[in-house]
Amino acid sequence: MYHLFVEPFAVGFMQRALTVSLIIGAVGGVIGVYVVLRKRAFFADTLTHTVFPGVAIAFVAGGSLWLGALLAGIASAVLFTLSTTNRRVDDDAAMAILLTTFFAIGVMVVSRITTYTNDLVVLLFGRVLTVDRGEIITAAVLGTAALLIVAVLHKELVFQAFDPEGLRAAGYPPVLLDLAANIAVTLVVVAAIQAVGTVLVIALLVTPAAVARLLTRSVGPMIAAGATVGVACGYLGLVISYSASIDHELRFAAGATIVVLLTVVFVVVTLATGGARRLRARRVVTVQ
Amino acid sequence: MVPALELDHVCVSFDDALVLDDVTARIEPGDAVAIIGPNGAGKSTLLRAILGLVPLTDGSIRVLGTTPRLARPRVAYVPQADTLDAEFPVSVLQVALMGRYRSIGWIRRPGARDRAAAMEALEQVDLADRARDRFGVLSGGQRQRVLLARALCQEAELLLLDEPFNGVDSSTQDLFLSVLAAQRERGVAVVMPTHDLSVAHLACGEACLLNQRQYGFGPIDEVLNPDALRAAYATRTLVTPGDQVILTGHHH
Repeated sequence: MYHLFVEPFAVGFMQRALTVSLIIGAVGGVIGVYVVLRKRAFFADTLTHTVFPGVAIAFVAGGSLWLGALLAGIASAVLFTLSTTNRRVDDDAAMAILLTTFFAIGVMVVSRITTYTNDLVVLLFGRVLTVDRGEIITAAVLGTAALLIVAVLHKELVFQAFDPEGLRAAGYPPVLLDLAANIAVTLVVVAAIQAVGTVLVIALLVTPAAVARLLTRSVGPMIAAGATVGVACGYLGLVISYSASIDHELRFAAGATIVVLLTVVFVVVTLATGGARRLRARRVVTVQ
Repeated sequence: MVPALELDHVCVSFDDALVLDDVTARIEPGDAVAIIGPNGAGKSTLLRAILGLVPLTDGSIRVLGTTPRLARPRVAYVPQADTLDAEFPVSVLQVALMGRYRSIGWIRRPGARDRAAAMEALEQVDLADRARDRFGVLSGGQRQRVLLARALCQEAELLLLDEPFNGVDSSTQDLFLSVLAAQRERGVAVVMPTHDLSVAHLACGEACLLNQRQYGFGPIDEVLNPDALRAAYATRTLVTPGDQVILTGHHH
Protein backbone atom coordinates (compact mmCIF):
# COMPACT_ATOMS: atom_id res chain seq x y z
CA MET A 1 0.00 0.00 0.00
CA TYR A 2 2.75 2.40 1.03
CA HIS A 3 4.64 1.50 -2.10
CA LEU A 4 1.62 2.21 -4.27
CA PHE A 5 0.06 5.29 -2.66
CA VAL A 6 2.84 7.21 -0.89
CA GLU A 7 6.18 6.28 -2.39
CA PRO A 8 5.57 7.89 -5.80
CA PHE A 9 5.50 11.28 -4.11
CA ALA A 10 8.94 10.94 -2.55
CA VAL A 11 10.47 12.62 -5.56
CA GLY A 12 10.24 16.37 -6.18
CA PHE A 13 8.60 16.37 -9.60
CA MET A 14 5.84 14.04 -8.37
CA GLN A 15 5.24 16.29 -5.35
CA ARG A 16 4.84 19.28 -7.64
CA ALA A 17 2.57 17.28 -9.95
CA LEU A 18 0.47 16.25 -6.95
CA THR A 19 0.23 19.81 -5.65
CA VAL A 20 -0.99 21.21 -8.95
CA SER A 21 -3.38 18.28 -9.49
CA LEU A 22 -4.95 18.78 -6.08
CA ILE A 23 -5.35 22.53 -6.67
CA ILE A 24 -6.93 22.02 -10.09
CA GLY A 25 -9.02 19.11 -8.85
CA ALA A 26 -10.49 21.09 -5.97
CA VAL A 27 -11.04 24.34 -7.86
CA GLY A 28 -12.36 22.57 -10.97
CA GLY A 29 -14.76 20.55 -8.81
CA VAL A 30 -16.17 23.68 -7.16
CA ILE A 31 -16.40 25.94 -10.24
CA GLY A 32 -17.74 23.00 -12.23
CA VAL A 33 -20.82 22.93 -10.00
CA TYR A 34 -21.78 26.40 -11.25
CA VAL A 35 -20.99 25.35 -14.84
CA VAL A 36 -23.24 22.30 -14.57
CA LEU A 37 -26.07 24.09 -12.73
CA ARG A 38 -25.99 26.94 -15.25
CA LYS A 39 -25.84 24.42 -18.12
CA ARG A 40 -22.74 26.07 -19.47
CA ALA A 41 -20.54 23.04 -20.23
CA PHE A 42 -20.31 23.96 -23.90
CA PHE A 43 -19.21 27.47 -22.98
CA ALA A 44 -16.38 26.03 -20.87
CA ASP A 45 -15.44 23.90 -23.85
CA THR A 46 -15.45 26.96 -26.10
CA LEU A 47 -13.06 28.73 -23.72
CA THR A 48 -10.57 25.92 -23.95
CA HIS A 49 -10.22 26.74 -27.63
CA THR A 50 -10.41 30.49 -27.40
CA VAL A 51 -7.37 30.72 -25.11
CA PHE A 52 -5.31 29.20 -27.96
CA PRO A 53 -4.59 32.43 -29.94
CA GLY A 54 -3.54 34.14 -26.70
CA VAL A 55 -0.95 31.48 -26.07
CA ALA A 56 0.15 31.44 -29.70
CA ILE A 57 0.63 35.21 -29.81
CA ALA A 58 2.40 35.22 -26.45
CA PHE A 59 4.67 32.47 -27.74
CA VAL A 60 5.58 34.35 -30.92
CA ALA A 61 6.04 37.57 -29.00
CA GLY A 62 8.08 35.80 -26.34
CA GLY A 63 5.72 36.83 -23.55
CA SER A 64 4.15 34.82 -20.75
CA LEU A 65 1.95 32.01 -22.09
CA TRP A 66 -0.24 32.21 -18.98
CA LEU A 67 -0.85 35.88 -19.48
CA GLY A 68 -1.66 35.34 -23.16
CA ALA A 69 -4.12 32.60 -22.31
CA LEU A 70 -5.69 34.70 -19.57
CA LEU A 71 -6.16 37.76 -21.78
CA ALA A 72 -7.60 35.75 -24.67
CA GLY A 73 -9.87 33.86 -22.27
CA ILE A 74 -11.20 37.00 -20.63
CA ALA A 75 -11.69 38.66 -24.04
CA SER A 76 -13.75 35.71 -25.22
CA ALA A 77 -15.73 35.60 -21.95
CA VAL A 78 -16.62 39.28 -22.38
CA LEU A 79 -17.49 38.87 -26.08
CA PHE A 80 -19.58 35.80 -25.37
CA THR A 81 -21.47 37.45 -22.50
CA LEU A 82 -22.22 40.50 -24.63
CA SER A 83 -23.33 38.41 -27.60
CA THR A 84 -25.86 36.53 -25.48
CA THR A 85 -27.63 39.80 -24.71
CA ASN A 86 -28.72 39.84 -28.36
CA ARG A 87 -31.79 37.66 -28.40
CA ARG A 88 -31.65 37.07 -32.13
CA VAL A 89 -28.34 35.21 -31.94
CA ASP A 90 -28.76 32.21 -29.68
CA ASP A 91 -26.00 31.15 -27.29
CA ASP A 92 -24.94 28.10 -29.27
CA ALA A 93 -24.41 30.08 -32.44
CA ALA A 94 -22.48 32.78 -30.58
CA MET A 95 -20.20 30.17 -29.01
CA ALA A 96 -19.61 28.38 -32.32
CA ILE A 97 -18.60 31.65 -34.00
CA LEU A 98 -16.33 32.65 -31.12
CA LEU A 99 -14.70 29.24 -30.89
CA THR A 100 -13.85 28.98 -34.57
CA THR A 101 -12.76 32.60 -34.94
CA PHE A 102 -10.41 32.54 -31.97
CA PHE A 103 -9.05 29.15 -32.94
CA ALA A 104 -8.50 30.30 -36.53
CA ILE A 105 -6.53 33.31 -35.32
CA GLY A 106 -4.41 30.95 -33.22
CA VAL A 107 -3.78 28.72 -36.23
CA MET A 108 -2.85 31.71 -38.38
CA VAL A 109 -0.31 32.83 -35.81
CA VAL A 110 1.09 29.37 -35.25
CA SER A 111 1.39 28.65 -38.97
CA ARG A 112 3.93 31.47 -39.17
CA ILE A 113 6.23 29.46 -36.95
CA THR A 114 8.19 26.91 -38.95
CA THR A 115 8.57 24.32 -36.22
CA TYR A 116 5.88 23.30 -33.80
CA THR A 117 7.57 23.44 -30.50
CA ASN A 118 7.15 21.69 -27.22
CA ASP A 119 5.49 24.65 -25.61
CA LEU A 120 2.54 24.42 -27.94
CA VAL A 121 2.23 20.69 -27.44
CA VAL A 122 2.11 21.40 -23.70
CA LEU A 123 -0.73 23.82 -24.37
CA LEU A 124 -2.78 21.13 -26.08
CA PHE A 125 -2.06 18.14 -23.85
CA GLY A 126 -0.52 19.53 -20.69
CA ARG A 127 2.55 18.16 -18.91
CA VAL A 128 1.79 17.82 -15.28
CA LEU A 129 5.06 16.06 -14.45
CA THR A 130 7.21 19.05 -15.35
CA VAL A 131 5.40 21.88 -13.55
CA ASP A 132 7.73 24.12 -11.60
CA ARG A 133 7.17 26.18 -8.46
CA GLY A 134 6.21 29.30 -10.37
CA GLU A 135 3.57 27.45 -12.33
CA ILE A 136 2.10 26.00 -9.14
CA ILE A 137 1.88 29.48 -7.65
CA THR A 138 0.21 30.81 -10.83
CA ALA A 139 -2.35 28.00 -10.75
CA ALA A 140 -3.00 28.66 -7.05
CA VAL A 141 -3.49 32.38 -7.59
CA LEU A 142 -5.83 31.90 -10.56
CA GLY A 143 -7.75 29.19 -8.71
CA THR A 144 -8.13 31.35 -5.62
CA ALA A 145 -9.42 34.24 -7.72
CA ALA A 146 -12.02 31.94 -9.32
CA LEU A 147 -13.12 30.65 -5.90
CA LEU A 148 -13.39 34.21 -4.57
CA ILE A 149 -15.73 35.19 -7.41
CA VAL A 150 -18.17 32.34 -6.77
CA ALA A 151 -17.91 32.71 -2.99
CA VAL A 152 -18.91 36.37 -3.19
CA LEU A 153 -21.73 35.79 -5.71
CA HIS A 154 -22.83 32.34 -4.58
CA LYS A 155 -26.46 33.02 -3.71
CA GLU A 156 -27.09 35.20 -6.76
CA LEU A 157 -25.46 32.69 -9.14
CA VAL A 158 -27.59 29.85 -7.78
CA PHE A 159 -30.73 32.03 -7.94
CA GLN A 160 -29.92 32.88 -11.56
CA ALA A 161 -29.31 29.25 -12.52
CA PHE A 162 -32.62 28.23 -10.91
CA ASP A 163 -34.85 31.10 -12.02
CA PRO A 164 -33.24 33.56 -14.46
CA GLU A 165 -36.51 35.42 -15.09
CA GLY A 166 -37.16 35.75 -11.35
CA LEU A 167 -33.65 37.10 -10.88
CA ARG A 168 -34.23 39.76 -13.53
CA ALA A 169 -37.60 40.61 -12.02
CA ALA A 170 -35.91 41.07 -8.64
CA GLY A 171 -33.73 43.74 -10.23
CA TYR A 172 -30.40 41.94 -10.45
CA PRO A 173 -28.07 42.66 -13.40
CA PRO A 174 -27.97 39.29 -15.20
CA VAL A 175 -25.25 40.32 -17.65
CA LEU A 176 -22.81 41.21 -14.86
CA LEU A 177 -23.49 37.91 -13.10
CA ASP A 178 -22.98 36.02 -16.37
CA LEU A 179 -19.74 37.86 -16.92
CA ALA A 180 -18.46 37.14 -13.42
CA ALA A 181 -19.30 33.43 -13.71
CA ASN A 182 -17.73 33.20 -17.17
CA ILE A 183 -14.55 34.87 -15.94
CA ALA A 184 -14.36 32.42 -13.02
CA VAL A 185 -14.51 29.57 -15.56
CA THR A 186 -11.82 31.29 -17.66
CA LEU A 187 -9.51 31.50 -14.65
CA VAL A 188 -9.85 27.75 -14.01
CA VAL A 189 -9.27 26.87 -17.66
CA VAL A 190 -6.07 28.93 -17.72
CA ALA A 191 -4.96 27.55 -14.35
CA ALA A 192 -5.39 23.97 -15.59
CA ILE A 193 -3.57 24.33 -18.92
CA GLN A 194 -0.19 23.25 -17.57
CA ALA A 195 -1.64 20.21 -15.83
CA VAL A 196 -3.89 18.73 -18.49
CA GLY A 197 -3.81 21.03 -21.52
CA THR A 198 -6.70 22.74 -23.25
CA VAL A 199 -8.04 19.55 -24.82
CA LEU A 200 -8.64 17.84 -21.49
CA VAL A 201 -9.35 20.70 -19.09
CA ILE A 202 -13.07 20.57 -19.80
CA ALA A 203 -13.21 17.15 -18.11
CA LEU A 204 -11.93 18.63 -14.84
CA LEU A 205 -14.60 21.32 -14.95
CA VAL A 206 -17.56 19.19 -15.89
CA THR A 207 -17.06 15.58 -14.80
CA PRO A 208 -16.54 16.02 -11.01
CA ALA A 209 -19.57 18.32 -10.85
CA ALA A 210 -21.64 15.91 -12.93
CA VAL A 211 -20.72 13.10 -10.53
CA ALA A 212 -21.59 15.36 -7.58
CA ARG A 213 -24.93 16.20 -9.22
CA LEU A 214 -25.80 12.49 -9.23
CA LEU A 215 -24.82 12.00 -5.60
CA THR A 216 -26.36 15.03 -3.88
CA ARG A 217 -29.66 16.88 -3.57
CA SER A 218 -28.62 20.40 -2.73
CA VAL A 219 -25.97 22.85 -3.81
CA GLY A 220 -23.80 22.93 -0.66
CA PRO A 221 -23.13 19.17 -0.54
CA MET A 222 -22.79 19.19 -4.34
CA ILE A 223 -19.89 21.65 -4.08
CA ALA A 224 -18.22 19.53 -1.37
CA ALA A 225 -18.70 16.37 -3.44
CA GLY A 226 -17.41 18.03 -6.62
CA ALA A 227 -14.22 19.17 -4.90
CA THR A 228 -13.73 15.75 -3.28
CA VAL A 229 -14.13 13.89 -6.58
CA GLY A 230 -11.76 16.33 -8.31
CA VAL A 231 -9.10 15.99 -5.62
CA ALA A 232 -9.42 12.20 -5.29
CA CYS A 233 -9.19 11.63 -9.05
CA GLY A 234 -6.26 14.06 -9.34
CA TYR A 235 -4.38 12.06 -6.72
CA LEU A 236 -5.37 8.56 -7.89
CA GLY A 237 -4.76 9.46 -11.55
CA LEU A 238 -1.15 10.31 -10.70
CA VAL A 239 -0.77 7.10 -8.66
CA ILE A 240 -2.09 4.97 -11.51
CA SER A 241 0.02 6.72 -14.13
CA TYR A 242 3.16 6.39 -11.97
CA SER A 243 2.57 2.78 -11.05
CA ALA A 244 1.81 1.86 -14.66
CA SER A 245 5.08 3.29 -15.88
CA ILE A 246 7.34 2.15 -13.00
CA ASP A 247 5.84 -1.26 -12.19
CA HIS A 248 4.38 -2.31 -15.52
CA GLU A 249 6.37 -0.31 -18.05
CA LEU A 250 3.18 1.17 -19.51
CA ARG A 251 3.52 4.87 -20.23
CA PHE A 252 0.22 6.59 -19.42
CA ALA A 253 0.23 10.38 -19.70
CA ALA A 254 -0.64 11.63 -16.21
CA GLY A 255 -3.19 14.29 -17.23
CA ALA A 256 -5.00 11.92 -19.57
CA THR A 257 -5.06 9.23 -16.87
CA ILE A 258 -6.79 11.66 -14.50
CA VAL A 259 -9.41 12.42 -17.15
CA VAL A 260 -10.07 8.76 -17.96
CA LEU A 261 -10.34 7.98 -14.24
CA LEU A 262 -12.91 10.76 -13.82
CA THR A 263 -14.96 9.29 -16.64
CA VAL A 264 -14.79 5.82 -15.08
CA VAL A 265 -16.04 7.28 -11.80
CA PHE A 266 -18.84 9.07 -13.65
CA VAL A 267 -19.96 5.90 -15.43
CA VAL A 268 -19.84 3.82 -12.23
CA VAL A 269 -21.81 6.43 -10.26
CA THR A 270 -24.34 6.80 -13.08
CA LEU A 271 -24.93 3.05 -13.15
CA ALA A 272 -25.01 2.80 -9.34
CA THR A 273 -27.44 5.68 -8.78
CA GLY A 274 -29.58 4.59 -11.73
CA GLY A 275 -29.58 1.05 -10.33
CA ALA A 276 -30.53 2.34 -6.88
CA ARG A 277 -33.38 4.35 -8.36
CA ARG A 278 -34.68 1.35 -10.27
CA LEU A 279 -34.39 -0.76 -7.14
CA ARG A 280 -36.41 1.77 -5.14
CA ALA A 281 -39.01 1.98 -7.91
CA ARG A 282 -39.32 -1.82 -7.95
CA ARG A 283 -39.73 -1.92 -4.18
CA VAL A 284 -42.55 0.61 -4.37
CA VAL A 285 -44.24 -1.51 -7.03
CA THR A 286 -43.88 -4.64 -4.90
CA VAL A 287 -45.32 -2.90 -1.85
CA GLN A 288 -48.32 -1.80 -3.87
CA MET B 1 -52.32 58.20 -1.71
CA VAL B 2 -49.75 57.09 -4.26
CA PRO B 3 -51.27 54.61 -6.74
CA ALA B 4 -49.72 51.13 -6.80
CA LEU B 5 -49.62 51.17 -10.57
CA GLU B 6 -50.32 53.71 -13.28
CA LEU B 7 -50.33 52.67 -16.92
CA ASP B 8 -50.59 55.69 -19.19
CA HIS B 9 -51.19 54.94 -22.89
CA VAL B 10 -48.68 52.09 -22.78
CA CYS B 11 -47.50 50.76 -26.16
CA VAL B 12 -44.98 47.95 -26.69
CA SER B 13 -43.82 46.56 -30.00
CA PHE B 14 -41.30 43.93 -31.01
CA ASP B 15 -39.75 44.27 -34.47
CA ASP B 16 -42.42 46.72 -35.64
CA ALA B 17 -45.20 44.35 -34.57
CA LEU B 18 -47.46 46.02 -32.03
CA VAL B 19 -47.90 43.77 -28.98
CA LEU B 20 -49.60 46.26 -26.67
CA ASP B 21 -51.48 49.25 -27.99
CA ASP B 22 -52.62 52.09 -25.78
CA VAL B 23 -53.21 50.41 -22.41
CA THR B 24 -54.27 52.77 -19.63
CA ALA B 25 -55.09 51.76 -16.07
CA ARG B 26 -54.71 52.94 -12.49
CA ILE B 27 -54.51 50.53 -9.57
CA GLU B 28 -54.67 51.63 -5.94
CA PRO B 29 -52.99 49.89 -2.98
CA GLY B 30 -55.13 46.94 -1.88
CA ASP B 31 -56.71 46.55 -5.32
CA ALA B 32 -56.52 43.33 -7.30
CA VAL B 33 -56.79 43.36 -11.06
CA ALA B 34 -57.14 40.37 -13.37
CA ILE B 35 -55.60 40.71 -16.80
CA ILE B 36 -57.87 38.80 -19.13
CA GLY B 37 -57.29 37.99 -22.78
CA PRO B 38 -56.63 35.15 -25.22
CA ASN B 39 -53.21 33.58 -25.76
CA GLY B 40 -50.87 36.06 -27.37
CA ALA B 41 -52.93 39.01 -26.17
CA GLY B 42 -49.87 40.58 -24.56
CA LYS B 43 -50.66 39.63 -20.96
CA SER B 44 -47.14 38.47 -20.10
CA THR B 45 -45.67 41.37 -22.02
CA LEU B 46 -47.67 43.74 -19.85
CA LEU B 47 -46.35 41.98 -16.74
CA ARG B 48 -42.78 42.27 -18.04
CA ALA B 49 -43.35 45.94 -18.85
CA ILE B 50 -44.49 46.58 -15.26
CA LEU B 51 -41.23 44.94 -14.12
CA GLY B 52 -39.30 47.21 -16.48
CA LEU B 53 -38.00 44.26 -18.49
CA VAL B 54 -39.30 45.39 -21.89
CA PRO B 55 -38.94 48.90 -23.31
CA LEU B 56 -42.07 50.92 -24.07
CA THR B 57 -42.49 52.35 -27.55
CA ASP B 58 -44.91 54.93 -26.21
CA GLY B 59 -46.66 55.96 -23.01
CA SER B 60 -45.38 55.52 -19.49
CA ILE B 61 -45.60 53.26 -16.45
CA ARG B 62 -45.32 54.40 -12.84
CA VAL B 63 -44.98 51.71 -10.19
CA LEU B 64 -45.49 52.71 -6.54
CA GLY B 65 -44.88 56.31 -7.53
CA THR B 66 -41.58 55.69 -9.28
CA THR B 67 -40.13 54.02 -12.38
CA PRO B 68 -40.55 50.24 -12.85
CA ARG B 69 -36.80 49.76 -12.53
CA LEU B 70 -36.50 51.62 -9.23
CA ALA B 71 -39.65 49.99 -7.86
CA ARG B 72 -38.41 46.40 -8.41
CA PRO B 73 -37.28 45.74 -4.81
CA ARG B 74 -40.83 46.59 -3.69
CA VAL B 75 -42.47 44.43 -6.36
CA ALA B 76 -42.70 40.65 -6.06
CA TYR B 77 -43.04 38.46 -9.13
CA VAL B 78 -44.48 34.94 -8.96
CA PRO B 79 -43.62 32.92 -12.08
CA GLN B 80 -45.49 29.80 -13.17
CA ALA B 81 -44.05 26.87 -11.25
CA ASP B 82 -43.80 24.66 -14.32
CA THR B 83 -41.38 27.07 -15.99
CA LEU B 84 -38.74 26.11 -13.40
CA ASP B 85 -36.43 23.08 -13.53
CA ALA B 86 -37.89 20.47 -11.16
CA GLU B 87 -34.55 18.63 -11.05
CA PHE B 88 -32.65 21.63 -9.67
CA PRO B 89 -30.96 20.73 -6.35
CA VAL B 90 -32.59 23.33 -4.14
CA SER B 91 -34.82 22.92 -1.08
CA VAL B 92 -38.23 24.46 -0.46
CA LEU B 93 -36.76 26.74 2.22
CA GLN B 94 -33.93 27.85 -0.10
CA VAL B 95 -36.46 28.85 -2.78
CA ALA B 96 -38.51 30.81 -0.25
CA LEU B 97 -35.33 32.53 1.01
CA MET B 98 -34.66 33.90 -2.49
CA GLY B 99 -37.42 36.40 -1.73
CA ARG B 100 -35.10 37.88 0.91
CA TYR B 101 -31.98 38.14 -1.26
CA ARG B 102 -32.53 41.75 -2.30
CA SER B 103 -32.91 42.93 1.29
CA ILE B 104 -29.98 40.76 2.42
CA GLY B 105 -27.79 42.44 -0.19
CA TRP B 106 -24.67 41.30 -2.02
CA ILE B 107 -22.08 38.99 -0.42
CA ARG B 108 -23.94 38.46 2.88
CA ARG B 109 -25.67 35.15 3.57
CA PRO B 110 -29.23 34.77 4.87
CA GLY B 111 -29.37 35.14 8.65
CA ALA B 112 -31.71 33.90 11.37
CA ARG B 113 -34.21 36.70 10.74
CA ASP B 114 -34.39 35.83 7.04
CA ARG B 115 -34.92 32.16 7.83
CA ALA B 116 -37.67 33.06 10.28
CA ALA B 117 -39.39 35.24 7.66
CA ALA B 118 -39.13 32.50 5.04
CA MET B 119 -40.51 29.89 7.45
CA GLU B 120 -43.38 32.18 8.37
CA ALA B 121 -44.21 32.64 4.69
CA LEU B 122 -44.10 28.87 4.19
CA GLU B 123 -46.49 28.49 7.11
CA GLN B 124 -48.91 30.88 5.41
CA VAL B 125 -48.98 28.58 2.38
CA ASP B 126 -49.19 25.44 4.56
CA LEU B 127 -45.79 24.07 3.59
CA ALA B 128 -43.65 24.71 6.68
CA ASP B 129 -43.37 20.96 7.24
CA ARG B 130 -41.90 20.52 3.73
CA ALA B 131 -39.18 23.18 4.18
CA ARG B 132 -36.31 20.71 3.96
CA ASP B 133 -37.67 18.77 0.99
CA ARG B 134 -36.29 19.30 -2.47
CA PHE B 135 -38.40 21.78 -4.45
CA GLY B 136 -38.85 19.36 -7.35
CA VAL B 137 -40.45 16.53 -5.35
CA LEU B 138 -43.47 18.71 -4.54
CA SER B 139 -46.62 18.64 -6.68
CA GLY B 140 -47.25 21.41 -9.20
CA GLY B 141 -49.71 23.17 -6.89
CA GLN B 142 -47.33 22.94 -3.93
CA ARG B 143 -44.48 24.38 -6.01
CA GLN B 144 -46.74 27.26 -6.97
CA ARG B 145 -47.37 27.82 -3.26
CA VAL B 146 -43.62 27.87 -2.53
CA LEU B 147 -43.21 30.59 -5.15
CA LEU B 148 -46.03 32.53 -3.50
CA ALA B 149 -44.21 32.15 -0.16
CA ARG B 150 -41.05 33.48 -1.80
CA ALA B 151 -43.01 36.58 -2.86
CA LEU B 152 -44.61 36.94 0.58
CA CYS B 153 -41.35 37.04 2.51
CA GLN B 154 -40.13 39.76 0.17
CA GLU B 155 -42.77 41.97 1.89
CA ALA B 156 -43.54 43.70 -1.40
CA GLU B 157 -46.20 46.32 -1.99
CA LEU B 158 -47.18 45.02 -5.43
CA LEU B 159 -47.63 41.32 -6.26
CA LEU B 160 -47.43 40.19 -9.88
CA LEU B 161 -48.62 36.63 -10.39
CA ASP B 162 -48.27 34.99 -13.80
CA GLU B 163 -51.27 32.65 -14.35
CA PRO B 164 -51.21 31.58 -10.66
CA PHE B 165 -54.13 29.17 -11.03
CA ASN B 166 -52.80 27.22 -14.01
CA GLY B 167 -52.89 23.52 -13.20
CA VAL B 168 -53.36 23.88 -9.43
CA ASP B 169 -55.76 21.80 -7.38
CA SER B 170 -58.77 23.30 -5.61
CA SER B 171 -57.13 23.36 -2.16
CA THR B 172 -54.20 25.38 -3.54
CA GLN B 173 -56.66 27.66 -5.29
CA ASP B 174 -58.56 28.29 -2.04
CA LEU B 175 -55.31 28.90 -0.21
CA PHE B 176 -54.18 31.39 -2.85
CA LEU B 177 -57.49 33.23 -2.63
CA SER B 178 -57.29 33.59 1.16
CA VAL B 179 -53.62 34.61 1.14
CA LEU B 180 -54.25 37.19 -1.57
CA ALA B 181 -57.24 38.54 0.33
CA ALA B 182 -55.08 38.91 3.47
CA GLN B 183 -52.39 40.69 1.47
CA ARG B 184 -54.94 43.11 0.02
CA GLU B 185 -56.14 43.87 3.56
CA ARG B 186 -52.61 45.02 4.29
CA GLY B 187 -52.62 47.34 1.30
CA VAL B 188 -50.72 45.14 -1.12
CA ALA B 189 -51.89 45.51 -4.73
CA VAL B 190 -52.23 42.42 -6.92
CA VAL B 191 -51.96 42.06 -10.70
CA MET B 192 -52.54 38.66 -12.29
CA PRO B 193 -52.94 37.57 -15.89
CA THR B 194 -55.26 34.57 -15.92
CA HIS B 195 -57.31 32.41 -18.28
CA ASP B 196 -59.76 31.43 -15.60
CA LEU B 197 -62.67 33.88 -15.57
CA SER B 198 -64.46 32.35 -12.60
CA VAL B 199 -61.40 32.48 -10.35
CA ALA B 200 -60.68 35.99 -11.61
CA HIS B 201 -64.07 37.00 -10.22
CA LEU B 202 -63.22 35.41 -6.88
CA ALA B 203 -59.75 36.93 -6.57
CA CYS B 204 -60.08 40.35 -8.14
CA GLY B 205 -62.30 43.39 -7.90
CA GLU B 206 -61.11 44.80 -11.18
CA ALA B 207 -60.21 43.53 -14.61
CA CYS B 208 -58.24 44.67 -17.61
CA LEU B 209 -59.46 43.07 -20.81
CA LEU B 210 -56.73 42.86 -23.41
CA ASN B 211 -56.05 41.66 -26.87
CA GLN B 212 -53.22 43.86 -28.03
CA ARG B 213 -55.38 46.88 -27.41
CA GLN B 214 -57.41 47.40 -24.27
CA TYR B 215 -61.06 46.32 -24.43
CA GLY B 216 -61.88 47.60 -20.99
CA PHE B 217 -60.58 48.42 -17.54
CA GLY B 218 -62.56 48.84 -14.33
CA PRO B 219 -64.79 46.84 -11.97
CA ILE B 220 -64.62 43.22 -13.06
CA ASP B 221 -68.38 42.71 -13.44
CA GLU B 222 -68.65 45.64 -15.78
CA VAL B 223 -65.53 44.93 -17.83
CA LEU B 224 -66.09 41.23 -18.38
CA ASN B 225 -69.49 41.56 -20.03
CA PRO B 226 -70.33 39.18 -22.88
CA ASP B 227 -70.09 41.84 -25.58
CA ALA B 228 -66.63 43.01 -24.52
CA LEU B 229 -65.40 39.43 -24.11
CA ARG B 230 -66.73 38.49 -27.53
CA ALA B 231 -64.95 41.46 -29.04
CA ALA B 232 -61.65 40.71 -27.28
CA TYR B 233 -61.69 37.00 -28.01
CA ALA B 234 -63.01 37.67 -31.52
CA THR B 235 -63.15 34.18 -32.99
CA ARG B 236 -64.58 32.46 -29.96
CA THR B 237 -68.13 31.72 -28.95
CA LEU B 238 -69.45 32.67 -25.55
CA VAL B 239 -72.11 30.97 -23.51
CA THR B 240 -73.48 32.58 -20.38
CA PRO B 241 -75.52 30.26 -18.18
CA GLY B 242 -76.70 32.39 -15.28
CA ASP B 243 -74.00 34.85 -14.26
CA GLN B 244 -71.14 32.52 -15.16
CA VAL B 245 -69.19 33.30 -18.29
CA ILE B 246 -67.74 30.32 -20.06
CA LEU B 247 -65.50 30.44 -23.07
CA THR B 248 -65.75 27.74 -25.67
CA GLY B 249 -64.84 27.61 -29.33
CA HIS B 250 -61.80 26.81 -31.33
CA HIS B 251 -58.21 27.70 -30.66
CA HIS B 252 -56.45 29.21 -33.59
